[in-house]
Amino acid sequence: MLASGLLDRLTGYVPFLFQGALVTLSLSTGAILIGFALGSLFLAVSEKYGQEGVRLTPMQNVAGFFVSVYVSFFRGTPLLVQLLMLFYLPAAFNINVPPFPAAIVAMGLNSAAFQCEILRAGLSAVSPGQLEAADAFGIPKKFIFRFIQLPQITRAVWPAVVSEAIDVLKSSAVVSVIAVTELTRTGRQIVAGNYRPLEVYISMGCIYLLMTGAIFLIGTWAGNRLTHRSNASSQIVQGLPGRLS
Amino acid sequence: MDASLFVKFLPAFGLAALHTMELSMLALAGGLLLGFAMNAMRETGPRWLKPVYWFYTGVWRGVPFLVHLFISYFGLTAIGLTLDPFEAATLALVLYGGAYFSEIFRACWQSIPVGQVEAASAMGLSRRQIFTRIQAPQALRMSVPLIANQTIILVKESSIASIITYPELTFTTTKIVSETYVYIEPYLMLALSYWLLTLTISRVGRAVNRALSP
Repeated sequence: MLASGLLDRLTGYVPFLFQGALVTLSLSTGAILIGFALGSLFLAVSEKYGQEGVRLTPMQNVAGFFVSVYVSFFRGTPLLVQLLMLFYLPAAFNINVPPFPAAIVAMGLNSAAFQCEILRAGLSAVSPGQLEAADAFGIPKKFIFRFIQLPQITRAVWPAVVSEAIDVLKSSAVVSVIAVTELTRTGRQIVAGNYRPLEVYISMGCIYLLMTGAIFLIGTWAGNRLTHRSNASSQIVQGLPGRLS
Repeated sequence: MDASLFVKFLPAFGLAALHTMELSMLALAGGLLLGFAMNAMRETGPRWLKPVYWFYTGVWRGVPFLVHLFISYFGLTAIGLTLDPFEAATLALVLYGGAYFSEIFRACWQSIPVGQVEAASAMGLSRRQIFTRIQAPQALRMSVPLIANQTIILVKESSIASIITYPELTFTTTKIVSETYVYIEPYLMLALSYWLLTLTISRVGRAVNRALSP
Protein backbone atom coordinates (compact mmCIF):
# COMPACT_ATOMS: atom_id res chain seq x y z
CA MET A 1 0.00 0.00 0.00
CA LEU A 2 1.54 3.26 -1.09
CA ALA A 3 0.73 6.31 1.00
CA SER A 4 1.14 8.55 -2.02
CA GLY A 5 -2.06 8.81 -3.93
CA LEU A 6 -4.01 7.55 -0.92
CA LEU A 7 -5.80 10.87 -0.61
CA ASP A 8 -6.68 10.83 -4.31
CA ARG A 9 -8.07 7.31 -4.03
CA LEU A 10 -10.03 8.18 -0.89
CA THR A 11 -11.70 11.17 -2.54
CA GLY A 12 -12.52 8.78 -5.38
CA TYR A 13 -14.42 6.11 -3.44
CA VAL A 14 -15.46 7.65 -0.13
CA PRO A 15 -18.49 9.41 -1.74
CA PHE A 16 -19.73 5.95 -2.84
CA LEU A 17 -19.27 4.66 0.69
CA PHE A 18 -21.40 7.54 2.00
CA GLN A 19 -24.12 6.62 -0.50
CA GLY A 20 -24.03 3.09 0.91
CA ALA A 21 -24.15 4.55 4.42
CA LEU A 22 -27.43 6.28 3.53
CA VAL A 23 -28.94 2.91 2.60
CA THR A 24 -27.60 1.47 5.89
CA LEU A 25 -29.22 4.34 7.78
CA SER A 26 -32.61 3.96 6.10
CA LEU A 27 -32.55 0.17 6.62
CA SER A 28 -31.73 0.61 10.30
CA THR A 29 -34.32 3.33 10.85
CA GLY A 30 -36.99 1.20 9.21
CA ALA A 31 -35.99 -1.85 11.24
CA ILE A 32 -36.01 0.07 14.53
CA LEU A 33 -39.49 1.49 13.81
CA ILE A 34 -40.89 -1.90 12.77
CA GLY A 35 -39.23 -3.43 15.82
CA PHE A 36 -40.73 -0.82 18.12
CA ALA A 37 -44.25 -1.19 16.71
CA LEU A 38 -44.16 -5.00 16.75
CA GLY A 39 -42.31 -5.13 20.08
CA SER A 40 -44.89 -2.95 21.83
CA LEU A 41 -47.70 -4.97 20.26
CA PHE A 42 -46.12 -8.20 21.53
CA LEU A 43 -45.71 -6.70 24.96
CA ALA A 44 -49.33 -5.48 24.98
CA VAL A 45 -50.72 -8.96 24.28
CA SER A 46 -48.38 -10.76 26.68
CA GLU A 47 -48.13 -8.22 29.51
CA LYS A 48 -49.85 -10.35 32.15
CA TYR A 49 -48.40 -13.69 30.92
CA GLY A 50 -46.18 -15.53 33.38
CA GLN A 51 -47.01 -13.30 36.33
CA GLU A 52 -47.96 -15.01 39.55
CA GLY A 53 -51.51 -14.86 40.82
CA VAL A 54 -53.00 -13.54 37.58
CA ARG A 55 -55.84 -15.46 35.91
CA LEU A 56 -55.67 -15.37 32.13
CA THR A 57 -58.21 -16.07 29.44
CA PRO A 58 -57.25 -18.92 27.04
CA MET A 59 -56.64 -16.27 24.37
CA GLN A 60 -54.17 -14.41 26.60
CA ASN A 61 -52.42 -17.68 27.38
CA VAL A 62 -51.97 -18.51 23.70
CA ALA A 63 -50.74 -15.00 22.91
CA GLY A 64 -48.36 -14.99 25.86
CA PHE A 65 -46.93 -18.37 24.93
CA PHE A 66 -46.50 -17.32 21.30
CA VAL A 67 -44.63 -14.16 22.31
CA SER A 68 -42.32 -16.03 24.68
CA VAL A 69 -41.41 -18.56 21.96
CA TYR A 70 -41.00 -15.76 19.41
CA VAL A 71 -38.69 -13.78 21.67
CA SER A 72 -36.65 -16.83 22.61
CA PHE A 73 -36.23 -17.86 18.96
CA PHE A 74 -35.31 -14.44 17.59
CA ARG A 75 -32.90 -13.73 20.42
CA GLY A 76 -31.45 -17.25 20.36
CA THR A 77 -30.54 -17.50 16.67
CA PRO A 78 -28.25 -15.25 14.59
CA LEU A 79 -29.74 -12.49 12.45
CA LEU A 80 -27.85 -13.94 9.48
CA VAL A 81 -29.77 -17.22 9.84
CA GLN A 82 -33.11 -15.42 10.18
CA LEU A 83 -32.27 -13.37 7.12
CA LEU A 84 -31.30 -16.40 5.01
CA MET A 85 -34.46 -18.23 6.10
CA LEU A 86 -36.67 -15.28 5.24
CA PHE A 87 -34.95 -14.80 1.89
CA TYR A 88 -34.50 -18.40 0.70
CA LEU A 89 -37.37 -20.38 2.29
CA PRO A 90 -40.08 -18.58 0.27
CA ALA A 91 -37.99 -19.41 -2.81
CA ALA A 92 -38.63 -23.10 -2.04
CA PHE A 93 -42.32 -22.36 -2.66
CA ASN A 94 -41.50 -20.33 -5.78
CA ILE A 95 -42.09 -17.02 -4.08
CA ASN A 96 -39.40 -14.46 -4.79
CA VAL A 97 -38.79 -11.94 -2.04
CA PRO A 98 -36.92 -8.82 -3.19
CA PRO A 99 -33.73 -8.26 -1.12
CA PHE A 100 -34.42 -4.82 0.37
CA PRO A 101 -37.86 -5.63 1.86
CA ALA A 102 -36.54 -9.02 3.03
CA ALA A 103 -33.65 -7.29 4.80
CA ILE A 104 -35.77 -4.65 6.48
CA VAL A 105 -38.40 -7.20 7.58
CA ALA A 106 -35.79 -9.63 8.95
CA MET A 107 -34.06 -6.85 10.88
CA GLY A 108 -37.41 -5.54 12.12
CA LEU A 109 -38.63 -8.97 13.28
CA ASN A 110 -35.29 -9.49 15.04
CA SER A 111 -35.35 -6.11 16.75
CA ALA A 112 -38.99 -6.61 17.82
CA ALA A 113 -37.90 -9.48 20.08
CA PHE A 114 -35.23 -7.36 21.75
CA GLN A 115 -37.41 -4.24 22.04
CA CYS A 116 -40.29 -6.27 23.51
CA GLU A 117 -37.99 -7.37 26.35
CA ILE A 118 -36.56 -3.86 26.80
CA LEU A 119 -40.07 -2.42 27.13
CA ARG A 120 -41.12 -5.24 29.46
CA ALA A 121 -38.23 -4.36 31.77
CA GLY A 122 -39.27 -0.70 31.53
CA LEU A 123 -42.84 -1.51 32.52
CA SER A 124 -41.64 -3.15 35.72
CA ALA A 125 -39.72 0.03 36.59
CA VAL A 126 -43.00 1.61 37.75
CA SER A 127 -43.98 0.17 41.13
CA PRO A 128 -47.56 -1.18 41.39
CA GLY A 129 -48.09 1.00 44.46
CA GLN A 130 -47.97 4.11 42.29
CA LEU A 131 -50.69 2.76 40.02
CA GLU A 132 -52.85 1.76 42.98
CA ALA A 133 -52.38 5.19 44.53
CA ALA A 134 -53.27 6.92 41.25
CA ASP A 135 -56.33 4.69 40.97
CA ALA A 136 -57.33 5.51 44.54
CA PHE A 137 -57.15 9.21 43.68
CA GLY A 138 -59.55 8.57 40.84
CA ILE A 139 -57.11 9.52 38.06
CA PRO A 140 -58.47 8.20 34.74
CA LYS A 141 -56.66 5.21 33.20
CA LYS A 142 -55.36 7.09 30.13
CA PHE A 143 -53.91 9.83 32.35
CA ILE A 144 -52.24 7.22 34.55
CA PHE A 145 -50.48 5.88 31.47
CA ARG A 146 -49.68 9.26 29.96
CA PHE A 147 -48.48 11.11 33.06
CA ILE A 148 -47.34 8.41 35.49
CA GLN A 149 -46.20 5.34 33.56
CA LEU A 150 -44.94 6.75 30.27
CA PRO A 151 -42.43 9.30 31.64
CA GLN A 152 -40.87 6.76 33.99
CA ILE A 153 -40.83 3.98 31.38
CA THR A 154 -39.21 6.30 28.82
CA ARG A 155 -36.49 7.28 31.25
CA ALA A 156 -35.93 3.67 32.34
CA VAL A 157 -35.67 2.18 28.83
CA TRP A 158 -33.83 5.03 27.10
CA PRO A 159 -30.24 3.76 27.54
CA ALA A 160 -31.27 0.26 26.39
CA VAL A 161 -33.10 1.71 23.37
CA VAL A 162 -30.01 3.70 22.35
CA SER A 163 -27.82 0.61 22.62
CA GLU A 164 -30.40 -1.41 20.65
CA ALA A 165 -30.33 1.24 17.90
CA ILE A 166 -26.54 0.89 17.74
CA ASP A 167 -26.84 -2.93 17.63
CA VAL A 168 -29.39 -2.75 14.81
CA LEU A 169 -27.15 -0.45 12.78
CA LYS A 170 -24.17 -2.74 13.30
CA SER A 171 -26.11 -5.90 12.51
CA SER A 172 -27.30 -4.35 9.24
CA ALA A 173 -23.87 -5.16 7.77
CA VAL A 174 -24.88 -8.81 7.27
CA VAL A 175 -27.69 -7.96 4.87
CA SER A 176 -24.94 -7.39 2.30
CA VAL A 177 -25.03 -11.19 1.74
CA ILE A 178 -28.47 -11.01 0.11
CA ALA A 179 -27.33 -8.32 -2.33
CA VAL A 180 -28.61 -5.20 -0.63
CA THR A 181 -26.18 -2.47 -1.65
CA GLU A 182 -25.66 -0.88 1.74
CA LEU A 183 -22.33 0.29 3.16
CA THR A 184 -20.63 -3.11 3.49
CA ARG A 185 -21.61 -4.30 0.02
CA THR A 186 -20.51 -0.98 -1.47
CA GLY A 187 -17.13 -1.52 0.22
CA ARG A 188 -16.84 -5.03 -1.23
CA GLN A 189 -17.65 -3.73 -4.69
CA ILE A 190 -14.97 -1.04 -4.42
CA VAL A 191 -12.41 -3.65 -3.27
CA ALA A 192 -13.37 -5.88 -6.19
CA GLY A 193 -12.38 -2.97 -8.43
CA ASN A 194 -9.21 -1.60 -6.84
CA TYR A 195 -7.82 -4.59 -4.83
CA ARG A 196 -7.07 -2.42 -1.80
CA PRO A 197 -8.99 -4.20 0.97
CA LEU A 198 -7.13 -2.71 3.93
CA GLU A 199 -7.75 0.97 3.24
CA VAL A 200 -11.28 0.50 1.88
CA TYR A 201 -12.42 -1.64 4.82
CA ILE A 202 -10.81 0.70 7.33
CA SER A 203 -12.57 3.69 5.73
CA MET A 204 -15.76 1.66 5.84
CA GLY A 205 -15.19 0.94 9.52
CA CYS A 206 -14.65 4.64 10.18
CA ILE A 207 -18.01 5.47 8.59
CA TYR A 208 -19.74 2.84 10.73
CA LEU A 209 -17.96 4.30 13.76
CA LEU A 210 -19.15 7.77 12.79
CA MET A 211 -22.75 6.56 12.64
CA THR A 212 -22.71 4.51 15.87
CA GLY A 213 -20.83 7.34 17.60
CA ALA A 214 -23.45 9.85 16.45
CA ILE A 215 -26.29 7.63 17.72
CA PHE A 216 -24.48 7.29 21.05
CA LEU A 217 -23.85 11.02 21.45
CA ILE A 218 -27.31 12.13 20.36
CA GLY A 219 -28.87 9.36 22.47
CA THR A 220 -26.91 10.36 25.57
CA TRP A 221 -27.72 14.03 25.01
CA ALA A 222 -31.44 13.29 24.58
CA GLY A 223 -31.33 10.99 27.60
CA ASN A 224 -29.85 13.74 29.76
CA ARG A 225 -32.54 16.13 28.59
CA LEU A 226 -35.20 13.54 29.42
CA THR A 227 -34.02 13.17 33.01
CA HIS A 228 -33.41 16.89 33.37
CA ARG A 229 -36.88 17.84 32.14
CA SER A 230 -38.67 15.24 34.20
CA ASN A 231 -36.70 16.32 37.29
CA ALA A 232 -37.89 19.86 36.69
CA SER A 233 -41.50 18.75 36.33
CA SER A 234 -41.29 16.54 39.42
CA GLN A 235 -40.09 19.58 41.37
CA ILE A 236 -43.19 21.44 40.26
CA VAL A 237 -45.30 18.48 41.39
CA GLN A 238 -43.47 18.41 44.71
CA GLY A 239 -44.22 22.10 45.08
CA LEU A 240 -47.93 21.58 44.46
CA PRO A 241 -49.19 20.40 47.86
CA GLY A 242 -47.58 23.45 49.48
CA ARG A 243 -49.40 25.79 47.18
CA LEU A 244 -52.64 23.94 47.57
CA SER A 245 -52.66 23.87 51.36
CA MET B 1 -40.90 -32.34 4.93
CA ASP B 2 -38.80 -35.48 4.77
CA ALA B 3 -37.63 -36.91 8.09
CA SER B 4 -34.95 -39.10 6.50
CA LEU B 5 -33.18 -35.93 5.32
CA PHE B 6 -32.62 -34.88 8.92
CA VAL B 7 -30.78 -38.15 9.55
CA LYS B 8 -28.85 -37.77 6.32
CA PHE B 9 -27.65 -34.24 7.16
CA LEU B 10 -27.00 -34.94 10.83
CA PRO B 11 -23.29 -35.91 10.59
CA ALA B 12 -22.48 -32.75 8.60
CA PHE B 13 -24.35 -30.62 11.10
CA GLY B 14 -22.60 -32.30 14.03
CA LEU B 15 -19.19 -31.46 12.60
CA ALA B 16 -20.29 -27.93 11.76
CA ALA B 17 -21.65 -27.43 15.28
CA LEU B 18 -18.23 -28.47 16.62
CA HIS B 19 -16.62 -25.82 14.42
CA THR B 20 -19.07 -23.20 15.66
CA MET B 21 -18.34 -24.17 19.27
CA GLU B 22 -14.59 -24.27 18.70
CA LEU B 23 -14.62 -20.73 17.32
CA SER B 24 -16.98 -19.35 19.99
CA MET B 25 -15.20 -21.02 22.91
CA LEU B 26 -11.80 -19.77 21.71
CA ALA B 27 -13.30 -16.30 21.40
CA LEU B 28 -14.80 -16.65 24.87
CA ALA B 29 -11.49 -17.71 26.44
CA GLY B 30 -9.39 -15.17 24.55
CA GLY B 31 -11.94 -12.42 24.99
CA LEU B 32 -12.22 -13.01 28.74
CA LEU B 33 -8.43 -12.89 29.16
CA LEU B 34 -8.14 -9.76 27.05
CA GLY B 35 -11.10 -8.11 28.73
CA PHE B 36 -9.76 -8.91 32.18
CA ALA B 37 -6.32 -7.57 31.28
CA MET B 38 -7.78 -4.37 29.81
CA ASN B 39 -9.88 -3.78 32.91
CA ALA B 40 -6.94 -4.50 35.22
CA MET B 41 -4.88 -2.03 33.20
CA ARG B 42 -7.58 0.61 33.48
CA GLU B 43 -8.00 0.02 37.23
CA THR B 44 -4.41 -0.36 38.35
CA GLY B 45 -2.25 0.75 35.41
CA PRO B 46 -0.64 4.13 34.85
CA ARG B 47 -2.91 6.98 33.84
CA TRP B 48 -1.33 7.45 30.40
CA LEU B 49 -2.52 3.95 29.39
CA LYS B 50 -6.19 4.77 29.96
CA PRO B 51 -6.77 6.22 26.46
CA VAL B 52 -5.74 2.80 25.09
CA TYR B 53 -8.68 1.28 26.96
CA TRP B 54 -11.16 3.85 25.66
CA PHE B 55 -9.87 3.66 22.11
CA TYR B 56 -10.02 -0.14 22.06
CA THR B 57 -13.48 -0.55 23.61
CA GLY B 58 -14.89 2.40 21.66
CA VAL B 59 -13.64 1.42 18.22
CA TRP B 60 -14.15 -2.33 18.51
CA ARG B 61 -17.70 -2.00 19.82
CA GLY B 62 -18.65 0.70 17.34
CA VAL B 63 -17.93 -1.23 14.14
CA PRO B 64 -19.87 -4.29 12.88
CA PHE B 65 -18.18 -7.66 13.39
CA LEU B 66 -18.33 -8.30 9.64
CA VAL B 67 -16.03 -5.32 9.07
CA HIS B 68 -13.52 -6.64 11.62
CA LEU B 69 -13.67 -9.95 9.83
CA PHE B 70 -13.01 -8.39 6.41
CA ILE B 71 -10.06 -6.43 7.78
CA SER B 72 -8.48 -9.48 9.42
CA TYR B 73 -9.15 -11.81 6.47
CA PHE B 74 -8.76 -9.59 3.38
CA GLY B 75 -7.13 -6.45 4.76
CA LEU B 76 -4.17 -7.91 6.63
CA THR B 77 -2.83 -9.55 3.47
CA ALA B 78 -1.94 -6.01 2.32
CA ILE B 79 0.63 -5.80 5.13
CA GLY B 80 1.89 -9.31 4.45
CA LEU B 81 -0.16 -11.19 7.04
CA THR B 82 -2.21 -13.90 5.34
CA LEU B 83 -4.57 -15.75 7.66
CA ASP B 84 -6.79 -18.72 6.84
CA PRO B 85 -10.54 -18.34 7.55
CA PHE B 86 -10.28 -20.00 10.96
CA GLU B 87 -7.37 -17.83 12.12
CA ALA B 88 -8.94 -14.65 10.77
CA ALA B 89 -12.30 -15.43 12.39
CA THR B 90 -10.69 -16.33 15.73
CA LEU B 91 -8.57 -13.17 15.76
CA ALA B 92 -11.51 -10.94 14.89
CA LEU B 93 -13.89 -12.59 17.35
CA VAL B 94 -11.37 -12.56 20.23
CA LEU B 95 -10.75 -8.83 19.75
CA TYR B 96 -14.47 -8.12 19.28
CA GLY B 97 -15.48 -10.13 22.36
CA GLY B 98 -12.59 -8.69 24.36
CA ALA B 99 -13.96 -5.16 23.95
CA TYR B 100 -17.34 -6.22 25.34
CA PHE B 101 -15.80 -8.26 28.17
CA SER B 102 -13.65 -5.24 29.10
CA GLU B 103 -16.80 -3.17 29.48
CA ILE B 104 -18.57 -5.94 31.43
CA PHE B 105 -15.66 -6.13 33.88
CA ARG B 106 -15.51 -2.33 34.11
CA ALA B 107 -19.22 -2.13 34.93
CA CYS B 108 -18.88 -4.81 37.62
CA TRP B 109 -15.72 -3.31 39.09
CA GLN B 110 -17.25 0.15 39.20
CA SER B 111 -20.38 -1.14 40.90
CA ILE B 112 -18.35 -2.04 44.01
CA PRO B 113 -19.10 0.81 46.47
CA VAL B 114 -16.25 3.29 46.49
CA GLY B 115 -16.37 3.28 50.30
CA GLN B 116 -14.96 -0.25 50.31
CA VAL B 117 -12.00 0.84 48.21
CA GLU B 118 -11.41 3.87 50.42
CA ALA B 119 -11.66 1.78 53.59
CA ALA B 120 -9.22 -0.81 52.20
CA SER B 121 -6.87 1.95 51.17
CA ALA B 122 -7.10 3.48 54.67
CA MET B 123 -6.18 0.07 56.11
CA GLY B 124 -3.00 0.23 54.08
CA LEU B 125 -3.84 -2.16 51.23
CA SER B 126 -2.07 -1.40 47.98
CA ARG B 127 -3.95 -0.63 44.76
CA ARG B 128 -3.18 -4.12 43.48
CA GLN B 129 -4.32 -5.79 46.70
CA ILE B 130 -7.58 -3.87 46.59
CA PHE B 131 -8.05 -5.05 43.01
CA THR B 132 -7.45 -8.75 43.71
CA ARG B 133 -8.72 -9.12 47.29
CA ILE B 134 -11.61 -6.65 47.56
CA GLN B 135 -12.94 -5.93 44.10
CA ALA B 136 -12.28 -9.09 42.08
CA PRO B 137 -14.17 -11.64 44.25
CA GLN B 138 -17.34 -9.54 44.28
CA ALA B 139 -17.12 -8.19 40.73
CA LEU B 140 -16.38 -11.56 39.11
CA ARG B 141 -19.41 -13.14 40.77
CA MET B 142 -21.53 -10.26 39.55
CA SER B 143 -20.23 -10.64 35.99
CA VAL B 144 -21.45 -14.23 35.47
CA PRO B 145 -24.90 -13.45 33.95
CA LEU B 146 -23.36 -10.75 31.75
CA ILE B 147 -20.64 -13.13 30.54
CA ALA B 148 -23.26 -15.79 29.73
CA ASN B 149 -25.23 -13.21 27.76
CA GLN B 150 -22.13 -12.08 25.87
CA THR B 151 -21.22 -15.71 25.11
CA ILE B 152 -24.62 -16.11 23.42
CA ILE B 153 -23.86 -13.00 21.36
CA LEU B 154 -20.46 -14.45 20.38
CA VAL B 155 -22.03 -17.76 19.24
CA LYS B 156 -24.47 -15.77 17.13
CA GLU B 157 -21.75 -13.53 15.70
CA SER B 158 -19.70 -16.61 14.81
CA SER B 159 -22.31 -17.31 12.11
CA ILE B 160 -20.86 -14.35 10.21
CA ALA B 161 -17.59 -16.28 9.79
CA SER B 162 -19.50 -18.26 7.13
CA ILE B 163 -19.09 -15.23 4.85
CA ILE B 164 -15.31 -15.80 4.76
CA THR B 165 -15.98 -19.55 4.18
CA TYR B 166 -15.18 -20.89 7.64
CA PRO B 167 -17.13 -24.22 7.64
CA GLU B 168 -19.32 -23.65 10.69
CA LEU B 169 -23.08 -24.22 10.93
CA THR B 170 -24.26 -21.45 8.61
CA PHE B 171 -21.66 -22.12 5.91
CA THR B 172 -22.36 -25.87 6.01
CA THR B 173 -26.08 -25.21 5.61
CA THR B 174 -25.69 -22.92 2.60
CA LYS B 175 -23.35 -25.51 1.10
CA ILE B 176 -25.85 -28.35 1.61
CA VAL B 177 -28.62 -26.17 0.17
CA SER B 178 -26.65 -25.30 -2.93
CA GLU B 179 -25.60 -28.92 -3.49
CA THR B 180 -28.93 -30.65 -2.88
CA TYR B 181 -31.49 -27.92 -3.67
CA VAL B 182 -33.27 -28.91 -0.45
CA TYR B 183 -34.21 -25.76 1.46
CA ILE B 184 -36.57 -26.38 4.33
CA GLU B 185 -34.91 -29.20 6.26
CA PRO B 186 -31.36 -27.74 6.35
CA TYR B 187 -32.54 -24.26 7.37
CA LEU B 188 -34.80 -25.74 10.04
CA MET B 189 -31.87 -27.77 11.39
CA LEU B 190 -29.66 -24.68 11.29
CA ALA B 191 -32.06 -22.55 13.32
CA LEU B 192 -32.70 -25.36 15.79
CA SER B 193 -28.95 -25.97 16.25
CA TYR B 194 -28.31 -22.33 17.20
CA TRP B 195 -31.41 -22.20 19.37
CA LEU B 196 -30.30 -25.32 21.24
CA LEU B 197 -26.76 -23.96 21.64
CA THR B 198 -27.84 -20.58 22.99
CA LEU B 199 -30.52 -22.06 25.29
CA THR B 200 -27.88 -24.43 26.70
CA ILE B 201 -25.48 -21.55 27.33
CA SER B 202 -28.14 -19.55 29.11
CA ARG B 203 -28.98 -22.62 31.26
CA VAL B 204 -25.31 -23.16 32.13
CA GLY B 205 -24.95 -19.46 32.91
CA ARG B 206 -27.89 -19.56 35.31
CA ALA B 207 -26.56 -22.72 36.99
CA VAL B 208 -23.12 -21.18 37.50
CA ASN B 209 -24.74 -18.01 38.80
CA ARG B 210 -26.81 -20.00 41.30
CA ALA B 211 -23.81 -22.00 42.42
CA LEU B 212 -21.77 -18.85 43.03
CA SER B 213 -24.39 -16.73 44.75
CA PRO B 214 -24.04 -16.77 48.50
